[in-house]
Amino acid sequence: MIKNIKTYLIFALTISLVYSCDEFVDVQPTAENSEDYFNTEQDYQKALIGAYDLLQSTYLNVMLGEIASDNTLSGGESATDVPGIQEVDDMIHTPVNAQLRDIWSWMYAGVNRANYILEFKDKTDFAGKNEILAQATFLRAYYYFELVKWFGDVPLAVDKRIQFGEQFNIDRTPKADVYAQIELDLIYAAENLPYVQSEPGRVTKGAAQALLGKAYLYQNKFNEAAVVLDDLIAKGPYDLLTDYNLIFEEAGENNIESVFEVQYFDGQGAGFGCLQCSEGNVAVGFSGVRAYTAIPDSAGDIFTSGFSFNVPVKEVVDAFQVGDLRKNVAILDIEAWATATGITYGTGYEHTGYFNRKYIPRKRSSNAQGDRNLTNPNNYRAIRFADVLLMAAEANNRKPSPDDNKARTYLNRVRERAFGNALNNISSSGTTLTENILQERRVELVGEGHRFFDLVRTGKAAQEINGFVAGKHELFPIPAIEIQLAGGRWSQNPNY
Amino acid sequence: MKKKFTLLLFALSTAFVFAQTTNVKGVVKDAVTGETLPGVSVLIKGTSIGTETDFDGVFTLSNVKQGAILVFDYLGKKSKEVPVTSATINISLEDAAEALEEIVVIGYGTQRKKEVTGAVTVISSATIDDIKPTRIEQALQGQVAGVNITTSSGSPGAAANIRIRGVSTNGDSRPLILLDGRVIEDLSVVNPSDIESINILKDATAGIYGVRAANGVILVTTKTGRKATPFKSSLNMYVGFQQTTREIPLLNATEYALLANEAFAANGEALPFASIAGLGQGTNWQKNVFETAPMFSIDYSLNKGTEKSTFSLGLSVLDQDGIVGGSKSNFNRRNIRFNFDTELTDKLKLSTSTIFTNTNKKNLIENVLGSVLFNALNMPPTTPVYATDGQFSLPPATGTGIEVANPLAQVDIADNRSWVNKISGSYGLNYSFLDNFSFETRIQLNFASSKSNAFNPIANFGNGSVFNNFVTSFSQSEQNYFDYTFDNFIKYEKTFNDKHDVKVLLGHSIFKTIGRFMKGITSFASGTNMNDVSIGGPLNETSDALLIHLQRNRGSNLLYDSRLLSYFARFQYGYDGKYLISAVIRRDGSTVFGSKNKFGYFPTASLGWVASEEDFLKDNKVINFLKFRASYGIVGNDRIRAFGFLSLLDGEGEYVFNNTLQNGVAFGGVANPEIRWEKQLPLDFGLDIELFNKINITADYFKKVTEDLLVQPQTSGIIGVAAPGASAPFVNAGTVENKGFEFSIGYKEIISDDFKFNVNYNFTTLKNNVTFVGNSTGFIEGGEFGVGQGFPSRMEAGFPIGYFYGLKTNGIFQTQAEVDAHATQTNAAPGDLRFEDISGPDGIPDGKITDDDRTYIGDPIADLTMGLNLSFNYKNFDFNAYAFASIGNEIVRNYERNLPKTNRATYFLDRWTGPGTSNSFPRVTTGATSNNLFSDFYVEDGSFLRLQSVQLGYTLGETFTKKIEFDSVRFYFTASNLFTLTKYKGYDPTASNGAPIGGGIDQGFYPSPKTFLFGINVNF
Repeated sequence: MIKNIKTYLIFALTISLVYSCDEFVDVQPTAENSEDYFNTEQDYQKALIGAYDLLQSTYLNVMLGEIASDNTLSGGESATDVPGIQEVDDMIHTPVNAQLRDIWSWMYAGVNRANYILEFKDKTDFAGKNEILAQATFLRAYYYFELVKWFGDVPLAVDKRIQFGEQFNIDRTPKADVYAQIELDLIYAAENLPYVQSEPGRVTKGAAQALLGKAYLYQNKFNEAAVVLDDLIAKGPYDLLTDYNLIFEEAGENNIESVFEVQYFDGQGAGFGCLQCSEGNVAVGFSGVRAYTAIPDSAGDIFTSGFSFNVPVKEVVDAFQVGDLRKNVAILDIEAWATATGITYGTGYEHTGYFNRKYIPRKRSSNAQGDRNLTNPNNYRAIRFADVLLMAAEANNRKPSPDDNKARTYLNRVRERAFGNALNNISSSGTTLTENILQERRVELVGEGHRFFDLVRTGKAAQEINGFVAGKHELFPIPAIEIQLAGGRWSQNPNY
Repeated sequence: MKKKFTLLLFALSTAFVFAQTTNVKGVVKDAVTGETLPGVSVLIKGTSIGTETDFDGVFTLSNVKQGAILVFDYLGKKSKEVPVTSATINISLEDAAEALEEIVVIGYGTQRKKEVTGAVTVISSATIDDIKPTRIEQALQGQVAGVNITTSSGSPGAAANIRIRGVSTNGDSRPLILLDGRVIEDLSVVNPSDIESINILKDATAGIYGVRAANGVILVTTKTGRKATPFKSSLNMYVGFQQTTREIPLLNATEYALLANEAFAANGEALPFASIAGLGQGTNWQKNVFETAPMFSIDYSLNKGTEKSTFSLGLSVLDQDGIVGGSKSNFNRRNIRFNFDTELTDKLKLSTSTIFTNTNKKNLIENVLGSVLFNALNMPPTTPVYATDGQFSLPPATGTGIEVANPLAQVDIADNRSWVNKISGSYGLNYSFLDNFSFETRIQLNFASSKSNAFNPIANFGNGSVFNNFVTSFSQSEQNYFDYTFDNFIKYEKTFNDKHDVKVLLGHSIFKTIGRFMKGITSFASGTNMNDVSIGGPLNETSDALLIHLQRNRGSNLLYDSRLLSYFARFQYGYDGKYLISAVIRRDGSTVFGSKNKFGYFPTASLGWVASEEDFLKDNKVINFLKFRASYGIVGNDRIRAFGFLSLLDGEGEYVFNNTLQNGVAFGGVANPEIRWEKQLPLDFGLDIELFNKINITADYFKKVTEDLLVQPQTSGIIGVAAPGASAPFVNAGTVENKGFEFSIGYKEIISDDFKFNVNYNFTTLKNNVTFVGNSTGFIEGGEFGVGQGFPSRMEAGFPIGYFYGLKTNGIFQTQAEVDAHATQTNAAPGDLRFEDISGPDGIPDGKITDDDRTYIGDPIADLTMGLNLSFNYKNFDFNAYAFASIGNEIVRNYERNLPKTNRATYFLDRWTGPGTSNSFPRVTTGATSNNLFSDFYVEDGSFLRLQSVQLGYTLGETFTKKIEFDSVRFYFTASNLFTLTKYKGYDPTASNGAPIGGGIDQGFYPSPKTFLFGINVNF
């Protein structure tokens, strides 16, 4: 017995000695260390998907941009339903606004993920790497373009993540310098990407060119805009879809008119706790008709309900000319619709009777999962060929030596589709043509989040938007907390 | 390190040699009854050599040195020390002044209470028997000064939050719980009847557990048998029922419709109820939701001791339905315990303890916006339970939001079950050698398999409801956890010259815990319930956090692997039982920290002076015992996120190409390589007094400063912290201080053979103050109030942790003139709350009511908590009552959805309806108003006094019991949670999720039920 005990004691001591090594508490994490990544092509591809991810969070930029404009009211359930949205609608937003902070933080999340790839761009070589890098630079440009549109001068980081601690040392970069980087990134992307990608949703040469043209236009660089957009129209594989209605339906996703499209789907649920995590288009559920109920398989059984935000005002409905086929695609007149189909609905705050029909929830597929109000599958048609034509028209009309002929051709291409004939073509020129083009942008692109920024860049916002103060509201305030968290060194945008 | 340490030990051990020895034999008897006492421990003082008396009270010890001192110990008897002068020693033991002779578990050993230098409280099995808790935490509530228990829910099987001496961290403030030496996170798996004692280490004494000790340590010891006893059985059984303590008075249908009309009219909208005639009382949702729920418990234990061995077997079953949802929130626990201790040789002891537990729990949605009770409060009383088609009715199409649903439909659809099988064992060998040494090796392990199933049929709760299911789904998951603790330590105990008592402990411990995720499926399913489900259609991963986790860890389903490597040493010295000193040092290495801070040293020390042993107090008639204590040291808290020091690709990077989800990678939590454990400096001054052999007093002053708190402050968005799956880094940047005073007094009187009584009272004062938050904003936010509002709770220097931060009201605007005269307040109209203009963007009042005007409006930490326990025995009757109180804690009323058509409580009847009608309760309107903003209007005094338990028992007369051949038979009746005195308007003032920042907010708390039990204890 005693012998056994001694054996055991020796055994126990041996075991404890073996375990006594300090290495016992060195454990490998279950996930990969971000500093030791980018060893294979697949690593780059996966990081790229991570960088695309934040495109889905731009639903807020689109919806809030629309609400900020004269097209829609905030709506919602009550006057205090998402105060940040209500304030932007009324132009009473302050530097304390949760939604503006979301836009700021989410776009920077996208910037950082794109920069993560570019930081390690030289680590591993393989065939086709440039295409991956080109997508990354496009995405960085896309996120930065949103940031300058909303906030003006913003901290610029190129080919490196902004690391913890560096937020205290980085200053706001002048808007012009940010735009210069956006141009460089898009030129690189356009040079290294094909017009057609095998996977719908991937960035293409056309997308890079279109966004570049748009960035020029926002800087009033009309010559440069005209050059790149003319080239895209001439050489790109895009065309207008004959049926305007089809564009916004599921069957019309990634169609020939789609130059760049943010991809969403409904196969994964989401929660209010992390809206940026949703794989669905959150703006769609927010814009839906409150308590929409249809008898199954009736004519009205093509939509489902939502939270009644982002409701169009009568003025934008009236902006459509008689005979414009786009009106009933863009605007859902809920009373008329209810009368025609027998659906029932509820009224929310600021009920106008109109809804943004392009982006309200469609009847759901049987595969749809999760919280349906937050995970609608409607892709956001970020840059449509019609938009490209109108941008090109504007660039040609407004460049130092205008080419109004070309401008009218582009414009009328859009109008002919809208009316189904050439009877409503525009024959004006000069500033009247400019006005016609801008008016066309409003009706062609209503509900797609462009209107506010078009008004701002053309100097018309103060006259069109109630409560808009010139010299202040062209930019949104940098979230006060973000200034504080970066060490309080950034100045606020003017007059906030 | 380890090698040197082993060498040292052997060097030490060879220094002592055997002296002249003799064999000793004797009989131990009860001083009062004269009966022999079996199972008395006989130990040679200063050594671990000893034996126990047999059935006849006889002991024999061989090879005892002449002049050695034998220590006789028996539970409930005064310990006696007798020098060995002859070969026969017959003694008798007197009844003890229990408190001082109590054996206290202090970590890797035990100590007599009178020699303890730390602030340690012991709860004995007797206390647990008195309270009949379904969960052990209930036995601690109000019983132990400095320990505060809050329940996260009153639902069966819900977890309780234990806080020892305040909230000392913004992170995880759960204490370390060790069950016979093994780590357990959740006391719910233990049957209270199996517990012999609970020891709570509240001060620096806990430092023997080093990096894990900052929140205090709870040591739970299970029952073992007693040596030399025949088979003893004990059967305890109770049945009873539970009811809600309260229904919140709500508007009936008529009142509701009138108020709704008033609210719509106030905003110039069409009246929702054209006619209120015939609405009557409408639906009383609470009556429909609450039910009387049964519960029962049965446990049996069997003990037996031979001369060398003891064993104890325990079996138990507890079954409890919920007062909401009945069997849909059932909790069921089955438990088997087996303890076996034996002396393999004179010097080698084996001790084992094995517990198997099976728990089953069914859940309803509770304690959140949209929970069943929340909906019982907010569903319009004008909506019937069932629609005309016999289906559950839906809320009105608009005006109630998307979270308010028919609560009975929610109960009806609930179909889920989670069950845990857990085997937990503790096995140790103790070997005594060279008189004064003992070596102990213990392996302690837990294996748990946790499974859950949920069946979600297609359901419609109304348009846009967040609870709608469009497809039938079924999910199943399984997780396995395994941990072990392996301890080895050597003790040296010797008394020199009868005066110098020296104890040395050197030890080593490793701990490892791993978790594995086994399976997770959510799919399109068909069937009618959980037991009849067929899975078909495409497999889809859902947003379930667990599944995402699985997905991120593709190729490896290891959830975590966390380890601890420790060395510790304790030195205890006592001079003549008067001067006591204890010093501990522990070195811990933890996988939680990066290479820079992986190892830490934790020194603590404590002192004691037993003044009553001094000549001037010896044999004092009044003061029987007096001891002063002091302790101080450094202890740590390592309960933080793993791998916070590395930037891992564990974020969410998902995008859709070709309508197919693509999984990429993205970084998750932002790293901070400097991360280190939280460091606590606990200071304690205490004294223990016994007066007149009847009164026991323990008083302690404590001050705990916790530094280097790990905070996850808001961090600039430009570093990418808002990305899906990302989070801000943890930084060590906070200090919080808890100080207070604990006092407990017990009074025991035996008036006659027939009448005995016992009173215990304790109170604890607590002042919590955050002294430093080192981030750029100077505060950390948390909690949830209303929908889409900012965070209501803060941690900020100069305030208690988790204080409520909101607007301060100053009455109600009576007239438009008052509105105009006041600072600009958005949407203000007569009848609205008037907020104080406290500040502006630059710190001075700016004439505008904005977020800048928010300030301290209360905190959830009680200033004073107390407990009172009263028991007496009269002839065959015994009575026990126990109450506790909490004073100075605030609670946030957040169970009101405040939408145009949600129901309201009757206190809305006192609203403002015109000038002079109310200066405290605002008008109702559906229009835009700031009344819903978080303000002191929603913060209430949560002080309460609760009669926790009243028990009356009757023990059958001995003659009768003997006749039916039982040792004892007792019947009892217990009423628990009988009443609560409070001003709080909600269900239960104890409502709290326990979060350090964000606790004390009532979202429609599932109240702790009132229970009535009838039970029987039989010993045979």
